[in-house]
Formats: sequence, C-alpha cells, structure tokens
Amino acid sequence: MALSKNAWLSGLRYKGGGTMITWLLHRIGGLAMVLFVGFHIYSAFLTQQFGSNVGVAINTIYESSYFQIVLYFFVIFHAINGLRIIILDLFPKLLEYQRELTWLEWIIIIPIYGLSVFITIMRLSANG
Amino acid sequence: MKVTVKILRYNPEKDKRPRYRTYHVEAEPTDRVLDVLEKIKGYQDGSLSFRRSCAHGICGSCAMRINGMNRLACKTLIKDLHSDKIVIEPLLGLPLMKDLIVDMKPFFEHYQSVKPYLINDEPPPLTERLQSPEERERFDDTTKCILCAACTTSCPSFWSNGQYVGPAAIVNAHRFIFDSRDRGAAERLRILSDQFGVYRCHTIFNCTLACPRDIQITKAIGEVKRAIATGSLD
Repeated sequence: MALSKNAWLSGLRYKGGGTMITWLLHRIGGLAMVLFVGFHIYSAFLTQQFGSNVGVAINTIYESSYFQIVLYFFVIFHAINGLRIIILDLFPKLLEYQRELTWLEWIIIIPIYGLSVFITIMRLSANG
Repeated sequence: MKVTVKILRYNPEKDKRPRYRTYHVEAEPTDRVLDVLEKIKGYQDGSLSFRRSCAHGICGSCAMRINGMNRLACKTLIKDLHSDKIVIEPLLGLPLMKDLIVDMKPFFEHYQSVKPYLINDEPPPLTERLQSPEERERFDDTTKCILCAACTTSCPSFWSNGQYVGPAAIVNAHRFIFDSRDRGAAERLRILSDQFGVYRCHTIFNCTLACPRDIQITKAIGEVKRAIATGSLD
C-alpha cells in the first residue's frame, strides 16, 4: 500500500534556492498584511463599540515601532516582489534572467526598507 | 573517501512511517550517487529499493531528493555535493511505495491529460510535413524532457494540490503547442487554462533548478500562460 502524506513539512526543507525563499516571504508578507489590517479593524471595532481595553491593547501592539519595522519589510517586499512576478508574467522572455531580476529586486528593497527603518528609529528616539 | 549516506527507508509491510537509516560507504569523489546506492544494495543491504535503468541520464528513472534537492542519481557526482554526508530521500508529492520508489501513476495521468502527441487531421502530404529550422527552434528546449518528474515533485504548488498538472505536463504540452505541424494547440490551451492548469504556477523556479536536462521550464510555462491570455502563439 503506497503511503500518501502531506508533502508540505518535508517541502519546507527542500533546497529550492533564492527564488523559493522569495516565494515563501511573499506568502508570509501577505499574511502579515492580513494580520495588520485584521488587528486594525478588530481594535477599532472593540474600542469604538465597547470602549474595550482589549481594543486599546491591540492598538498599542500594531502601532508599536517594532511591529511596524517588521511590517514595513513584508509590505515593501510583497510590493516589489509582486512587481517582479507581474513583469515576468507579462514578458516570459525575461524569465531567462530571473536570477538577475531577483538580485535587482533586493537592490531596490534594501535601501527603501533601510530608509523606512531609519525614519522609524529617528522618530522613536525623538519621542524618547 | 568514506561517505556517510542517510537514506529514508520505508517498507509498507513493516513500517507505519518512513525512517532514516545510515550507511558508511567507501567511494571515489568521481563516483555517482547511483554507484553508492548500488554498493549499499550489493554489499550492505539487499532490501534497499530504488529505480534505475539506463544510468546515463536518459531514462529518468533514478530521480530522487539528494541533499535536499531533486536530482538524477546517475548524473550526480559525489564531489559535486561538496560534502561527505549524503541524505537521500524519495521524491515529494507522489505516494511512497517503498524506500526511494514513488508511485508515478498520478504524474503520468497529468502527462496524458495534455495530449502529448501530434494532432493533425489534415491529409498527409506526399513528402514529410516540412518545418523550417526557425519553426523547429521554437520548441527545441521542451523536446529534451525525459519525464523523470524531478520538476513536478519540486513544485510547492504540486505538493499542496496533486491535481495541478505540474511543470512536466506543461513542458510536454508546450512541445506540441508551439510545433508548426500540430493543430491541437487550442485544445491543449483550453485544458491548461483549467483551474489546475498553468495558473497554479507561482513562478517559484524550483522546477527549472531541478531539471537535469536544463530545460527553461518556468519560461515554457510563461509562454503557455501568455498564449492562453493573448490567444496567440507568436
């Protein structure tokens, strides 16, 4: 009898290279944004409807600089990586240069993310 | 050199789940992983099961996960693994039958679903169906497929849903879709525009990296996607 099992856990150990990592980060980024928007809606609902302290606590979490520094990465990565995939889908000839495009993607992401983190940290230190 | 080989073993008559077993083998750096497997089977453990046939990278029988990545055991040299520790596991996403042997039936069902043969009902000409070198060049890359399943079983979309036709089937559809002598392109594009067709490809590139024939698989899938979207084979 053949053994059928979910390949997902074993699949996470598959050595697919840089493009598999970008694919995973893209998915995690999507989930991070859902989490952020979910927190925002849930917190606003609880605070406005019930004046709940739970809403205030959630608000404190998602507005914290640490949370936002993580979120910035996923939002910026999701956007730039999404653009790379759209370009590759529209122009399949460029698929031969996917390695170069992946490097270009990181070259764009790192300074934008670095600037966002820098501004956040400056604001954080200015507020004491 | 002495290599330590860890193999994921599974005997459906005894084991509930696969388990690793370690072997120590004397091998040359220029030996292939298939040679190491043969040594283990021949001298240490005759119960080890794996597929092999031509041993020259043509039949595609010995595709397996070697150090975490799909490769042909007969084309992978020990020295190219840059390690004296080798982990060998069966392909992912297909039912495991025994040790390194997986059930290829779902893979070949997907392959057959895209009608991988010439479709042309026009009366045959007196001579061959002629084709220019440029027309032949259009699908040259995808003629190289040996159906080893290394690409399909490296694809996370296939792992998550076995109904996805997978990269190998799309590659073989591409081989005929862009063949100037074929008349079945519209039919194949209709099949591949299904919910389990080309749009399950998320441009992850595992298939391209895993292909032992260096076929630009993601590019072929991209060309099929574009043909579906534009309705043009240009």
